[in-house]
Amino acid sequence: MAELMDIIASFLASSLRQAAPLSLAALGVAYAEKAGILNIGEEGIMLSGAFFGFIAAYFSGSLFVGIISGALGGILISMIHAFMCIKVKANQTIVGLALNFFTLGLTSFLFLLVFGQNTKLPSVASLNPITLPVLSKIPVLGPVFFSQNILIYILYLAIIVFFVVFYKTEWGVRLTAVGENPRAADSAGLGVNATRYVSCIINGVFGGLGGAYITLAQLGYFQEDIVSGKGYIALVVVILGRHNPVFILLSAMLIGFAESLQFSLQTMGIPLPSQAFSMLPYLIAVIVLLLSAGKSSSPAFLGIPYERDKR
Amino acid sequence: MQKVILEMNHIDKSFFGKKANDDVYLRVMEGEIHALLGENGAGKTTLMNILYGLYQADSGEIIWKGEPLAIKSPKDAIDRKIGMVHQHFTLVNKLSASENITLGLKTKGYPFTDRASLDSKISEISTRYGLPVDPGKRILEMSVGEQQRVEIMKLLYRDVDLLILDEPTAVLTPSETDDFFAVLERLREDGKAIIIITHRIPEVMRIANEVTVLRDGKVVCSKSIGDLDEEKLSQYMIGRDLSTLKREERTGGNVLLNIDGVSLEEKGKKVLDNLCIKINEGEILGIAGVDGNGQKQLAEVILGIRKLGGGSIYLDGNRIDQLSIEERKNMGIGYISDDRHRDGLVMDMNLEENMLLRSERSGFLHHGFIDKSALKSATEHAISEFSIKTHSSGIPVRLLSGGNQQKLIIAREIHDSVRLVIAFQPTRGLDIGASEFVRSLLLSERDKGCAVLLISADLEEIFSISDEVAVIHSGRIMGIVRNNSDVDMTRIGLMMAGKEVM
Repeated sequence: MAELMDIIASFLASSLRQAAPLSLAALGVAYAEKAGILNIGEEGIMLSGAFFGFIAAYFSGSLFVGIISGALGGILISMIHAFMCIKVKANQTIVGLALNFFTLGLTSFLFLLVFGQNTKLPSVASLNPITLPVLSKIPVLGPVFFSQNILIYILYLAIIVFFVVFYKTEWGVRLTAVGENPRAADSAGLGVNATRYVSCIINGVFGGLGGAYITLAQLGYFQEDIVSGKGYIALVVVILGRHNPVFILLSAMLIGFAESLQFSLQTMGIPLPSQAFSMLPYLIAVIVLLLSAGKSSSPAFLGIPYERDKR
Repeated sequence: MQKVILEMNHIDKSFFGKKANDDVYLRVMEGEIHALLGENGAGKTTLMNILYGLYQADSGEIIWKGEPLAIKSPKDAIDRKIGMVHQHFTLVNKLSASENITLGLKTKGYPFTDRASLDSKISEISTRYGLPVDPGKRILEMSVGEQQRVEIMKLLYRDVDLLILDEPTAVLTPSETDDFFAVLERLREDGKAIIIITHRIPEVMRIANEVTVLRDGKVVCSKSIGDLDEEKLSQYMIGRDLSTLKREERTGGNVLLNIDGVSLEEKGKKVLDNLCIKINEGEILGIAGVDGNGQKQLAEVILGIRKLGGGSIYLDGNRIDQLSIEERKNMGIGYISDDRHRDGLVMDMNLEENMLLRSERSGFLHHGFIDKSALKSATEHAISEFSIKTHSSGIPVRLLSGGNQQKLIIAREIHDSVRLVIAFQPTRGLDIGASEFVRSLLLSERDKGCAVLLISADLEEIFSISDEVAVIHSGRIMGIVRNNSDVDMTRIGLMMAGKEVM
């Protein structure tokens, strides 16, 4: 019995660790999407966060500086995206894809420039778990949820704050108005574009943190394409979680569970190529999306730039 | 003596080199209902959008309460107590009435709003002006009439001194219009100024004190209602006398279209409910009703654009509801859609290419290839027969005016082998001249023995050319009447509102 509990606890803990970068990124995406900004470039934002977070931590020796730089790295990409989508009114999908490839090239190039070709990857010590008093004493769940690194506590806090903002404040109402009917929002005197720029900054911060989580909390090193599709999975998590912060965490946990399950399966010596197991999280994403089809929670004006003087 | 509250002088505004407003002026007093009358495209809405800050005038001045006014955005307008209800409502569907009404306001405790106290203030205003609004109800659960009340409440909540209403009655049933006008009168008594944009002359005579008539972007008349009558107003508005259509009473031949108990469900809601109609050869059946009561579904079910959920459709005795769209059109159905940009034309293709989109194409094809010269001559024939104003048959239809686009659709859809014409809002967005042309054409098709299904939200249009009129509500036919001199319009109005009338 106790053994089973241990297995469950260890699976939960590992699911949460896999889910954390997805949830952080997805929260930012959900905010931007509520305002009507479609960000396919999330992969690029995360990669930028992962790179700048790592490099700042490496040279400063401070993980705190690393986390801040990760968020700034995310903002860098999200603001290019925002400028192209809001000011230039470019096609948001194309801009997002272009930024993903741009960031992939940029981070790999900068990494080579700084460290050169090396057989040994440069690394930093990763974030230590902080055990919260009292809460961590809850049986089974306590150690899983309250003996984690600082980014996971930031995630908890963010979920609560986002939930309150979305559903309990006038800001949430305004955000909904800007995404659902920008002309109505404009008529009511809300700054549609200002709201959207702010949403992109928030998107950048959380995407950057999600990326930094990978290099600073999970791995402690950086390499080319280290995000490897998590940005796209974050977009799926937003849809699964129907833009609701709590559901986003749960959806990310589901994907995270699939991720940790596939790691365990790979080590169990089942005679299948490892790629077959790597498919698992994506397979689950596709299946859940199929099951939840037809119930879109996306705003009506998602991905459509707003022009006031248009006839 | 009433005070002048608003003056607009020498307003100019061009779009793509075309003058939408040309030296326009407007003067509005406190406590008056001022009608801004004109045809579609006369520049009424443009002028009001300038006043409301959605457009910037190229030149001209606005004087509000005695002071020059510079408005850069709707926010400025609202700050100065000017409010506007657009023809297409600017409400956020997923939000509640209350959230929509207070959207953009910083209320006490912002950003943590005290919904309950806002709701009670809303209820208080709504009882004062007799505008029933349920604060907690979401917009997407509301009827169009309710949504309009929310829009007006938005302005009253902000305590505006001037309300601009763009075509407010277009979406209302006759009885809703009565209630609405009663609200306007109460607002007038309260000292508010109201500008009502409309092209309906009887409404102007009924509710307005003053009227300014626009034609082709210019002011042609600005007078008290006491100095005018309907005839004079229509002369000002159109610039000439209106010839009335002559429709001779006649009974048609055999039943051509028989719609037998057709039902359709969309998103779990019945949009067509056991609907039965018959149209004889040589007759026009008008479908009257408020927009969005199943008209679109009815038209598209006959065409086959939507699959029907139950019942059957016969054309000349042959069951057609299992056939493809093309097969049905080849049996002689012509379709004039209500949304010509979406369903009728490919805007970036030229007139000839759009002409080619008809189902009966044999005349344009030669061994399977397009016979360019035949297509060109057919298009040019249509251009002269329907007097379509265009530089050539080779320019994109996007460059034509709405009326000329509509004429092209009609030229394409109503050809010699057509036996049934489905005309869905055929004059929407057209000026009076072009509307007359379309209606007389439908009449002449009827006289040639065609059956015509005329679906329109414009009662005047329905009763000017239909032989029989059916009233639709919530996907059901509420009643069918013969259109002769003793039609009881009150009864029609009640049926449009969904009341069972014997």
